[in-house]
Amino acid sequence: MNTSQPDGWVPVEHRFLGLDRRQLRPALFVLVVGLVLIYGFQGLNALIPWDNPTKAGDVLALGDGATAVPPVGWQLEDGTLVGDGSGSADVTLVKGGATIHLQGAAFTGSATAFLDQVRRVEERSPAVTGPRASFTTDAGLVGVVETESGPRGEGLDAAFKLAAGAAADTAPALLVEVAAAPGEFEQYQDEIGAFLRSITPEERA
Amino acid sequence: MTAKDAQLSAIDQSGWGVPYRFLQPHNPVFWVYLFGLGAGAVTMVKFFGPAFGPYGLALTSGIVLFGGYLVPWLLLLRHHNRYTAQPAGLLLTAFLWGGIAAPFWIALPANGALLEVWSKLLGPDGAGDWGAGLTAPINEEWGKALGLILIIGLAPRLVRSAYDGFIIGAYIGLGFQVFEDVLYVYNNAQATFGTDQLGSTLQILAIRGAAGIVSHTLFSAIFCAGVMWVLGRTPGDRNVVRGVLTCLVAMFFHFSWDDAGGLSFGNPVVATVLPWLVLVPIELAALFYVLRRAARTERGWTRDLLGPEVESGVVDAELLTAVSGLRKDRKRYRKQVRGARHLVEAAGDLAHEIAGARGADTPRVEHARAEVLRLRAQVRA
Repeated sequence: MNTSQPDGWVPVEHRFLGLDRRQLRPALFVLVVGLVLIYGFQGLNALIPWDNPTKAGDVLALGDGATAVPPVGWQLEDGTLVGDGSGSADVTLVKGGATIHLQGAAFTGSATAFLDQVRRVEERSPAVTGPRASFTTDAGLVGVVETESGPRGEGLDAAFKLAAGAAADTAPALLVEVAAAPGEFEQYQDEIGAFLRSITPEERA
Repeated sequence: MTAKDAQLSAIDQSGWGVPYRFLQPHNPVFWVYLFGLGAGAVTMVKFFGPAFGPYGLALTSGIVLFGGYLVPWLLLLRHHNRYTAQPAGLLLTAFLWGGIAAPFWIALPANGALLEVWSKLLGPDGAGDWGAGLTAPINEEWGKALGLILIIGLAPRLVRSAYDGFIIGAYIGLGFQVFEDVLYVYNNAQATFGTDQLGSTLQILAIRGAAGIVSHTLFSAIFCAGVMWVLGRTPGDRNVVRGVLTCLVAMFFHFSWDDAGGLSFGNPVVATVLPWLVLVPIELAALFYVLRRAARTERGWTRDLLGPEVESGVVDAELLTAVSGLRKDRKRYRKQVRGARHLVEAAGDLAHEIAGARGADTPRVEHARAEVLRLRAQVRA
């Protein structure tokens, strides 16, 4: 008697632990490729060390006595730690798809005017700019932050004057530029926020 | 071979009309799919869960606006899901893999690690220019295409031609695109520290909505058509060189879009012009070339399916050309025949019913046939 096979019926010779052995190959292929993509690149990343990673307790010297606390485990590509020299506001920190770049400048005027000036002179990739917002550091510096989003990912520019109150107008300016590859900003947002809050001007006696 | 033999062969080869069943506990592919989807869902909930408080407005508006953005895409893809069309359940399976498993299980952790590798190897400037384009085309195109492999395992008889790969790939890519868009809404809201969340969402809708025309849906449709040419699941459809080249073209498009800044070598004018005036026309031309090339096998099946109906006079030669043809064939038919649109759809229904009945004359086939005859009589009247 010839009967048609019911839907979902697996012939006994094709069964393995109750599963259809004929579909094991694609299932294992997907599992292996998926795991290689996820853990293979993480393993490769672990094999290639940063040559100058930041450690807990590190403090960046931004010049003129100003400091900032870098997030731990980031590559300090440019910049000086407190105790290693007089310091400089030119700092580059890198992790994953995110880069934090600090640049100092002499500028008379407010942080807002400084950011306006930066926007006027910098050539930028096409992106949509978000609303400007205030940002206050733990030391009481009031800066302005502006974000942008474009095909290259998310970015954030923050401008500070390295003194609070009446002295702010004549104090040196600091620009913090954060660039993250598409979809990467969220992973570093807390560390970036903590870094911005840690920016401290010279402590005056 | 008689027309009836050709019809039965087309039904057998295309698998059209075979019911799709997602729940297959005996199938290891089903469990891997569930694992990928589950792992992706857990990451997604961890990712978005805490955001519903501080960034609730951004996320909610993102979900609503991109939900609306999805509608025209679904209509467009439904229009292209022709010839031996794929069932809705299978396409939903593809969409969910693309939306949940591919980005949250695979791309998110894999991209972070590979981007850091590029930062270490190329330095921050090199990685800024080239990192994204050297990362996403690998992790994301492969992650999405794994969904096609799983769907072949879930419905081996239904997924046969390069056109099947093209359509399934488009749905996987659409899922990835829309879920990633919501992720971008969240990222942008975070980057603005939660200020003007609705404005932030509208910004992302404007950027990503426009860029979406040549984004994951396009990349995956091309890539998955290439995968099907490599696999060659129907006689004469296997062409490894064409398949690999097609996959590489999709990956190159993804690379060029992500690294348009690097390719413009710092010139902001070139960075603006390159994606929209150069890449978009090239990518759309390539998309339609792949679509036409991939459709050849399916068009042949449609002709074979309706062959006996042509012999019996139910379908005439012009209608057969239109229902099995490309857009230009249907357009020409619409110019020639009043009510052509309905006739083409009715002939498509007839082919579908014949396939579902495995070539037998069932009441549904007879009704579909009667519908074609009724419409043709109206045209003649």
